[in-house]
Amino acid sequence: MDLLANLAHGFGVALTFNNLLFCLIGCIIGTAIGVLPGIGPVATISLLLPITFGQPATTAIIMLAGIYYGAQYGGSTTAILLNLPGEVSSVVTTLEGYKMARRGRAGAALSIAALASFFAGCVSTVLVAASGPLLTSVALSFGPADYFSLMLLGLIISAVLAQGSVVKSIGMVVFGVSLGLVGTDVQTGQQRFTFGIPELSDGVGFVSIAMGMFGIAEIILNLEKPEARTVMTGKVGSLMMTREEVRRSIPAVLRGTTVGSLLGILPGGGAALASFGSYMMERKVSKGRHEFGTGAIEGVAGPEAANNAASQTSFIPLLTLGIPANAVMALMVGALIIQGIQPGPRMVEAQPDLFWGLIASMWLGNLMLLVINLPMIGLWVKLLAIPYRHMYPAILIFCAIGVYSLSNNVFDVYQTVFFGLFGYLCSKLRLEPAPMLIGFVLGPMMEEHLRRAMLLSRGDVMVFVQRPISATMLAIGAIALIAMVLPNIRKGKDKALQE
Amino acid sequence: MRSVARRSVVLGIGASPLLAVGAHAQGAWPSQSIRLVVPFAPGGTTDLVARLIAAGLQEKLGVSIVVENRAGAGATLGSETVARAAPDGYTLVMSNIASHAISPAVYGSKVRYDPVKDFAHIALVVSNPTVWVANPRAGIRTMADVAARAKSASGLQVATSGAGSSNHLLVVQMSREIGTEITHVPFRGAGPAMQAVIAGQVPMMSDSLPSAASHIKQGSVVAVGMCSAERHPSFPDVPTFREQGFPLESDSWFGLSAPAGTPAPIIARLNRDVLALLQTADIRNRFAELGGTPGTYSAADYNSFIIREVAKWAPLVQAAGATAD
Repeated sequence: MDLLANLAHGFGVALTFNNLLFCLIGCIIGTAIGVLPGIGPVATISLLLPITFGQPATTAIIMLAGIYYGAQYGGSTTAILLNLPGEVSSVVTTLEGYKMARRGRAGAALSIAALASFFAGCVSTVLVAASGPLLTSVALSFGPADYFSLMLLGLIISAVLAQGSVVKSIGMVVFGVSLGLVGTDVQTGQQRFTFGIPELSDGVGFVSIAMGMFGIAEIILNLEKPEARTVMTGKVGSLMMTREEVRRSIPAVLRGTTVGSLLGILPGGGAALASFGSYMMERKVSKGRHEFGTGAIEGVAGPEAANNAASQTSFIPLLTLGIPANAVMALMVGALIIQGIQPGPRMVEAQPDLFWGLIASMWLGNLMLLVINLPMIGLWVKLLAIPYRHMYPAILIFCAIGVYSLSNNVFDVYQTVFFGLFGYLCSKLRLEPAPMLIGFVLGPMMEEHLRRAMLLSRGDVMVFVQRPISATMLAIGAIALIAMVLPNIRKGKDKALQE
Repeated sequence: MRSVARRSVVLGIGASPLLAVGAHAQGAWPSQSIRLVVPFAPGGTTDLVARLIAAGLQEKLGVSIVVENRAGAGATLGSETVARAAPDGYTLVMSNIASHAISPAVYGSKVRYDPVKDFAHIALVVSNPTVWVANPRAGIRTMADVAARAKSASGLQVATSGAGSSNHLLVVQMSREIGTEITHVPFRGAGPAMQAVIAGQVPMMSDSLPSAASHIKQGSVVAVGMCSAERHPSFPDVPTFREQGFPLESDSWFGLSAPAGTPAPIIARLNRDVLALLQTADIRNRFAELGGTPGTYSAADYNSFIIREVAKWAPLVQAAGATAD
């Protein structure tokens, strides 16, 4: 009952005119920056931070939060329509979403993305409200060894589930891992593979890789074929989802919400892990798994639910421990501290208005986003009717602006061009970019956690099997590997995973 | 010159943009927007404070100040662009302990500017003491406990926000003081490191006070020693390293600098305006929350402070083996 009373209080706070207005402003700004490739929530929130200095803390945080999850909604739009992922989490959406758009199901893909996000947002908001502190202890029980094993499991599964040639996809994972090693070594501060270029000392930019490998490469491929110079093959198709599509999406959304809510709590790349994780799961267990690679709706529904759930639950470490899970959360901590509020375990009691108001506003924000986004779908899909010769220069310009704005450095634009050409080469050689990106994201994190685990255990490898979480992950990974080697066990594993 | 001095006194009290509009009608500086380069990604303490300062200076100067984040290579990339910019008072940088003291030693010849000669340093904005905190269940309450644990068979592990940071170099200094190696456990930023300490995976952390302050107040970690000359007013119960027999001091700091050759009147004007801004109740309160001490140096004092910092950190970077060359 306490929870209900608190939520009622929260809605009382969130439903004041001012807070509603700023929630709406945040959601609209968030959607806009999500749609513009490359311009992410981190840059936007830091730009808008001075505006929040003069506002009450609750209003400020409600607006910033709106920008954050609004960007998650908007990000899927360009991913689906143009194969342009602006963020780590929307890379996965391009895989099936863009294929759906090419089949004339852009409207359905956008609808399910919005609906899945809304559903996941609602569920995970309740989760944040009801069991935030409990989930915090789960996050705290993850040590370096456990992280390492979790990520190793992720890499194994991504290799096991690869489309087409296993050798090629393992090659791409390894290449991605090596790309991830470029930059300053976290443990020693040594420069690795930077070739004396100072811009590389912080590593290769993720946005450059994702935009280049997916978006730019796709543009080159499209221009190569003089006869088919539109994104669409002509037909726009019905905007609504068919009954069949709805039926297939529901279980995917439920699974995605679960995966996302859990992985979102983990600091560092929770949302990215969540959408990759959900995609891999759908590809293996969903009814439409044979359609993966040609535009399966589960491949949009699951990951979209997962990344929105994760972006809501990533507030848990912030609200209960005062520890930011990612760069956006770090900005939120800054905004709160400037307001004189210390995020942390006492915030729930000390600032009930802020805590419950934020939670209620998350739910309202998700509703607003749905209302903003659903009617827009028709408009977005019409964009595809613009002749490609007008379309692609505009896309390229937006990409260049977005990438440049990341750190106001032309070098990032060159990087994007490089990866665009490389991505084109890869598609000619039938090499998939997705495993490379998984390697790029997971590789450096794995290395960091491996070395930290070894440092803390004083070089004792047994730490990986002594910790129950780590041991479980490794066991599942081993089973997955064995299943890959012995195809007849594979059927059995399918059943096991479905349970 | 006299009119500039009088005007900034007026502005110091009333902060009227109208008077400053009068100033650029006379062709005086500033007559256009000013670019403030923050050599870090958005969201860090330096970035936050830069935006606070920019908002305040904007009112005092009557022109807009555009904060531009240009991160990379230990804050040297952004600083380099400012070192090379025209010295006309329209390009400024948030100089800091990384870009102007530690990174030149870490990156050596790859840093294409001299932290002293290529800049006209304006004012120290804030300095933050380093504090050592421990997990409450780790049984470490004093610096003597720290030394004892380091010398014990199991040894002591201390987390930091990253290799080559001032927090890391303090671990190196402390190891020398007690004559035993403390195991340094670097993380990617202060947040994950603090989480590991709260979770009990690493017993201790060497952190700058602003990022540790809230956790100390909440009791999720215990402050063992404040590495500054005096006790901090917000944490009067936390003894300094020196009081506990370890004569070390380590502050992280940042300030405002312009390219070398920027006219002295502009530097003087900015110094006065920044110092006046730092004394306003609003900014003082916000800094007190963050745990930092606002700067009071004149431009010349800030310059000699940076010279001392460069000389202080270079040998420590060598000792830590954190050079990139």
